[in-house]
Amino acid sequence: MDTQSTLEKVLRGIAITAVILFFMFPIFWIFLMSFQTNETILRVPPSIVFEPTLTNYKALITGRLESTAGALEIEFMSNLFNSAYLSTMAVIVGLILGVPAAYAFGRLKFRGSEDIAFTLLSFRFAPPLLVLLPLTIYFQQIGLANTYFGLIWVYQLIVLPLILWIVRGYFEDIPADIEYAYRIAGHGFWATFRKIALPLAMPGIAAAGLLAFIFAWNNFIFALVLASADKQPVTVGALAFVTASGIQYGQIAAGIVLSILPTLALALYAQRYLVEGLSLGAVKG
Amino acid sequence: MYDKEKKLIDAYMAGSMSRRSLIRGLGSLGVTAATAGVLVNAAATRALAQNGFDWKKHSGTTVKLLLNKHPYADALIANLDNFKELTGMDVEYDVFPEDVYFDKVTAALSSGSTEYDAFMTGAYMTWTYGPAGWVDDLNEYIMDDSKTNPDYNWEDVLEGVRKSCAWNGRPGGALGSDDAKQWCIPLAYEQNNLTYNKRVFDSAGLSVPGNIDELVETAAAAKAAMDGGYGIGVRGSRSWATIHPGFLSGYANFGQKDLNVSDDGKLSAAMNTDVSKDYHAKWVKMIQDSGAPDWSTHTWYQVGTDVGAGKSAMMFDADILGYFMNGGTAEAGNLAFAPFAANPDAAAPTPNIWIWAMSMASASTKKDATWYFMQWVTGPEHDLFGAREMDLVNPARSSVWADEMFRDKLSKSYPGYVEMHDLSAPGASIKFTAQPLFFDLTTEWAASMQKMVAGEVPVDEGLDQLAASVDSQLKDAGLG
Amino acid sequence: MADIAGPPRRRGLRISRGWLPYVLSLPALLACIGILIPFFTAVAYSLQRYRLSQPWAHKWNWGENYLNFMSDPSFWNTLRVSMTYAFLTVGLELLLGLGIALLLQKRTRFNNFVSIMLLMPLMTAPALASLMWKLMTNPGFGILSYFAALIGLEDFRWASSPQTAMLTVVLVDMWVYTPFIMILLLAGLRSLPQQPFEAAALDGVPRLFVFWRITLPMLTPFLLTAVLFRVIESIQQFDIIYAMTQGGPGDKLTVFQVEAYLNFFQSTNVGRSAALLMILWVITYILSTIFIKQWLKLRERQRGET
Repeated sequence: MDTQSTLEKVLRGIAITAVILFFMFPIFWIFLMSFQTNETILRVPPSIVFEPTLTNYKALITGRLESTAGALEIEFMSNLFNSAYLSTMAVIVGLILGVPAAYAFGRLKFRGSEDIAFTLLSFRFAPPLLVLLPLTIYFQQIGLANTYFGLIWVYQLIVLPLILWIVRGYFEDIPADIEYAYRIAGHGFWATFRKIALPLAMPGIAAAGLLAFIFAWNNFIFALVLASADKQPVTVGALAFVTASGIQYGQIAAGIVLSILPTLALALYAQRYLVEGLSLGAVKG
Repeated sequence: MYDKEKKLIDAYMAGSMSRRSLIRGLGSLGVTAATAGVLVNAAATRALAQNGFDWKKHSGTTVKLLLNKHPYADALIANLDNFKELTGMDVEYDVFPEDVYFDKVTAALSSGSTEYDAFMTGAYMTWTYGPAGWVDDLNEYIMDDSKTNPDYNWEDVLEGVRKSCAWNGRPGGALGSDDAKQWCIPLAYEQNNLTYNKRVFDSAGLSVPGNIDELVETAAAAKAAMDGGYGIGVRGSRSWATIHPGFLSGYANFGQKDLNVSDDGKLSAAMNTDVSKDYHAKWVKMIQDSGAPDWSTHTWYQVGTDVGAGKSAMMFDADILGYFMNGGTAEAGNLAFAPFAANPDAAAPTPNIWIWAMSMASASTKKDATWYFMQWVTGPEHDLFGAREMDLVNPARSSVWADEMFRDKLSKSYPGYVEMHDLSAPGASIKFTAQPLFFDLTTEWAASMQKMVAGEVPVDEGLDQLAASVDSQLKDAGLG
Repeated sequence: MADIAGPPRRRGLRISRGWLPYVLSLPALLACIGILIPFFTAVAYSLQRYRLSQPWAHKWNWGENYLNFMSDPSFWNTLRVSMTYAFLTVGLELLLGLGIALLLQKRTRFNNFVSIMLLMPLMTAPALASLMWKLMTNPGFGILSYFAALIGLEDFRWASSPQTAMLTVVLVDMWVYTPFIMILLLAGLRSLPQQPFEAAALDGVPRLFVFWRITLPMLTPFLLTAVLFRVIESIQQFDIIYAMTQGGPGDKLTVFQVEAYLNFFQSTNVGRSAALLMILWVITYILSTIFIKQWLKLRERQRGET
């Protein structure tokens, strides 16, 4: 594998550069845009020379934009909070429900285990709109409309199948020997699960949790349909910069940057788990 | 409020003091001009409180509104304290971005939610909401003296606008007929006319077009004169919104209709007549030759932003969009307004109109209290406040249009705007046929126009196909 | 390895704690089961003539909504567009994702850093990513339109031209979701056992042969997982297309969920909307079942081999 020719090295370098350009350039460009006023953004042709301004971020963070058309109230920070709260809670609940189930499917083969696992996964097959519309009516009737609880429950449709699928594979692949040894030493099932199985599966759980977090964070339609304005996530909040009195491009850009930051921070923090965790448990052994 | 300020304002209200000296007087007391506006209205509200109506009847009740992120909503929110003081009621509100606003309304209403008592809507939407049983007929309140204050003056609301909000619910039934139900009450409305860039027009020696042929020519000439920009902005996204502004206004000016209504109430497509085909062909050619390159994704905000940024020489769209783009943009102060009649033989323009209105949710549990709010927000005082101090253009009441202060404010910063409005207002109304398939048919209309502009189908063939499809959908729905 | 200690003890576990796996999986099942109620309500809607704007005509019409699709050209268009979109996006993302994963396979600090950075598009909500791309493809101030003009593509119209609309939304989809496939495959590549590769290198087997005969087959479970989740998302695409073109220009991009969304929220034609979504559900169900069956089979075989 290590017999790379110079030509191959050059080609690899070019390929990597192209990949980085394609995926990072839009982010870079939006990042630049977030430090510009509408005026410099709208220049033709576009240019990367401009006088940076913090107005957009200031407007988003303080919640007020002073413009010639008057003051504009911005709820962006509360949108950001909602996104963080909803996604975090959804993932925590998803892990609490999903990890034991994944353990059952992955480790304790039992009658009907494949059927139940498939059923759980199949909840992911239903197009979100299909269940969402009747759900608005039932939520109204049982008082779940416009509650964080109701939303977090619906978010399980996104996070739970993903967590189950990845963590289950992980449990299947890590060797069971250590657990059995621990059990034989006289420890109960729960102690084994908590002290041995969970720590061993940690990378898989972390990676699944992170991916689930990203997908929950990116959701748009659930909160819009099911909750009132004070519970909307950033994905809806970022649209508020388009109003009859003009589009605030700079703030849209700043909003996008701010909405990526929390997930990025989480990913950087969890990066050592990420790749290892998704490899479905092919640890040594 | 402090007594000194109160006295100043009351003197102003009584007419013994000019507005300027009032503001100066208040200024010396440390009150800014913007606050002064609200205070003046506080005085108007105090006057309202003395008209013998029991304003405090629902004191302590809270009503909740669903609002669209819009300057009209801003005007409402800015004046809310006065309403609270007048009635002792409390008002909560949810504001959603316009991109998703109507989807949110549909979701809330169709689920039978009792959360919102009243909400902002357009008149077209009530053609769904009314028959679906989601909104109340407001005639019951307007006509009831025990519920409506004596100064409400319903007749003051412009007739064309008022009637455009009323429909009897029969597919094809005329708007504002005697048996019509008042599904919503206008806050303000938009006429569709020309907004053009005077700087560009002057430097290229262009004159304001007076009919559709001149419009096509002027757009082409303007494009040639613009460096990298384009001639005319009109909407083009795959949505009903593409049909209703400039396009339908010009279309109606030729006496053309979207649908025919037969004597026995059956509907059929009317967009494949010769006159219609001719008009469509010109419209399509205008977009191909001098419209935005990305026309097919343009909705109101791209159309507006481009004319404000100097990327397009003019637009045939809502007049208030021109109004907003004339401030805080690259071309601020350069935009001018003109009424537009597409048909050379027509006596005057016939703009189709968009109305932002308030409706009452049928699921509301406190309708009488909600009506207190609605009669206040659509009443003469708030309309005048919004028009004078905020951006509530175009107000829906004739008394406000007669107000000199408002006219002066408009004429000073937006030359020609008032004249344009006055000239086209008599012919302004909704030109669509009210019926339950409104959104289906207009969306399809927009989609086939996209195909015509892209050259995928010739105009006359496209219109015949559209008409056939419209007829079959009407038949399927039991309307044709 | 697991199998050495496996069967006898597993049986022991099952006998003593036969109820345990059910207890463990029940909460997850219960949390999801509530969804069945709205699901069956939607099934019922799809069997009704149900337009909110015509409540007087509301009645059961059983299969009529479905039968109508047979003769409805816009339905077949929707089906075709959805399948094309899913096929293009998943196919291209798989190729590109695999390519990138191979490039980053070696565990170096640089590669690890790049792989996390490349996740950033995935962290951009598709609704917002579309907004970004709309800004960048604006014919006036859009940087991509500017680049296109630089390389001779004057007047390139991106999502607003029927010729390039599909290409544009597929590009946005690739930008957002390729990282998802990349990270799954990267994890897979790095977890492969080293012995077969070392043996092949010793024998001087050509690298291309190694890739086709060793890498790819061993990677298949990962490929299947990646494709499974991507196919589900892709055939149910909504955010990107709705935000970029609302299904236009013309009927070029009216995929299932966009069409169903418009049917419900604008036309309030609940019956047709639900029927469309039911068909989408059936397609998703069939495709997913195929993938899952394959996945299970593969894993069984692999476990048998080790």
